[in-house]
Amino acid sequence: MASVVVLGAGVAGHTAALHLKRLIGKQHTVTVVSPNSQWNWIPSNIWVGVGEIPAEKVLFKLAPVYARKKIDFVQAKAVEIHPEGDAAGAAPYVTVEHTSGERKGQTDTVAYEYLINATGPKLKFEATPGLGPDGHTLSVCTADHADHAAKALAASIEKMKAGQKQTFVIGTGHGTCTCQGAAFEYVFNVENEIRQAGVRDLARIIYLTNEAALGDFGVGGMVFDQQGFETTSELWTGSLFRERGVEAIVGAHVEKVEEGVIFYETLDGAHHQLPFDFSMLIPPFGGQPIKAFDRDGVDITERLFAPSGFMKVDADYTPKPYEDWKAADWPTTYEVPGYRNVFAAGIAFAPPHQISRPLKTANGTVVAPAPPRTGMPSGVMGKAVAVTISKRLKNPDAEAEHASMAHMGAACVASAGTGLTKGSAAAMTMLPVVPDYDKYPTGRDTRETRGELGLHGHWVKLMLHYLFIYKAKARLGWQLIPE
Amino acid sequence: MNSLLTTTGGDQPTLDLSKAPLPNAKTLRQRMSIPLQFLRFLAFNALIMRMVAKGHSG
Repeated sequence: MASVVVLGAGVAGHTAALHLKRLIGKQHTVTVVSPNSQWNWIPSNIWVGVGEIPAEKVLFKLAPVYARKKIDFVQAKAVEIHPEGDAAGAAPYVTVEHTSGERKGQTDTVAYEYLINATGPKLKFEATPGLGPDGHTLSVCTADHADHAAKALAASIEKMKAGQKQTFVIGTGHGTCTCQGAAFEYVFNVENEIRQAGVRDLARIIYLTNEAALGDFGVGGMVFDQQGFETTSELWTGSLFRERGVEAIVGAHVEKVEEGVIFYETLDGAHHQLPFDFSMLIPPFGGQPIKAFDRDGVDITERLFAPSGFMKVDADYTPKPYEDWKAADWPTTYEVPGYRNVFAAGIAFAPPHQISRPLKTANGTVVAPAPPRTGMPSGVMGKAVAVTISKRLKNPDAEAEHASMAHMGAACVASAGTGLTKGSAAAMTMLPVVPDYDKYPTGRDTRETRGELGLHGHWVKLMLHYLFIYKAKARLGWQLIPE
Repeated sequence: MNSLLTTTGGDQPTLDLSKAPLPNAKTLRQRMSIPLQFLRFLAFNALIMRMVAKGHSG
């Protein structure tokens, strides 16, 4: 009997664990190690953040699902990986620190034959002084953060109802942020709530982003084929900003936040101050702080992890200029070099480079949106790694499954307002996620890369909300729902 | 890219979006038309499924 350990219970880790148990059955054990007791459907945190739904609607407890599926669950965070074991033996193991109950703070070891690192992002609010719920801005990255943001929004709306003007600033809190889609969704949901409250004329709403152009979304923007013409996601999103009266500041690196004031630098090197009453800024992401050691106890963290804290996999990490970046640089198996039994999936793997062109301000400050690898791609990677492990448990020499972001597509449905008959969303698809200019003149297949705006987008987002929570709860037929 | 990257000269370096295309009344009506949007809903789901079939491996 072999033991497969999955670190993290987000989209990649949870998907991997469910598929693994389905594929390897009772012969082997699957253990999930996660510091959180609950699963969170993060895309719907946007609706929690405007008070449209309570936080409970996007959360459920992991333990009962794992108990039903016969998956072991350890509520703890991984702190060390020993892929070669130690002086006492060659069996690899992970050192974990418990995060709940009487054992909180205590460390333990979990042995493995196969390991998946799917630990997701560390929210690096500390990268920007004053950023985040412990500073002066809000967040929607967790359900708790979103709930807090909803209360602050309600308070601002009350102030406007009393005749007081309010400035809302929503966007990214650092030059290297990813997840611009979440900020984009949130700004239009906030605008919608304010409009529904009848106080739109008292609100100034500003989207502050590290994207060099609107519609970049950290993927270098998209080119759509619409009615025989090539159009860009920049023009398409610009139209929505104009229609909804939302101002936009692009190419911005937030330097610090003080009470009611954001300090930021733009690509021309100019420094600005932006006063605000309400601000939700996404933090930059980093990898979880996990150390790695070889059998002799020598620290091999730098060999296994990039400086960002994300785990190195089968990508081409050779530094090269933007013009030389290729789709083939991106990983396909997520296997960690040197260890055929260790994988990193979802946000936890280190991308070889950005997708958007990285820029610097006139002062040399880096403004480089990090590549998104959440949602659909994370689920696909999680499943691919699970299939690889299930094959290798039967035949250790089995080839790995491939799931490159340079081949797979993704759908992104960005809510712009709620309501079954009044809702709206920007629904986008792209194939592939990482553009391949050798294969497609625009980098992507224009037959599959689309952008549409309308009520149906809201229905799609609502459908995905229920569908993916159903799937994550491993209800009957869950495996038939694609990642 | 950056076709919209001109600023408005206000207190902040905001983009000048006055050249961005605005939807006309017909487009706005179509975006909220339930029968039409139902068809778009079906078409978009078909697009997602086709993309899943084409691009979720390899």
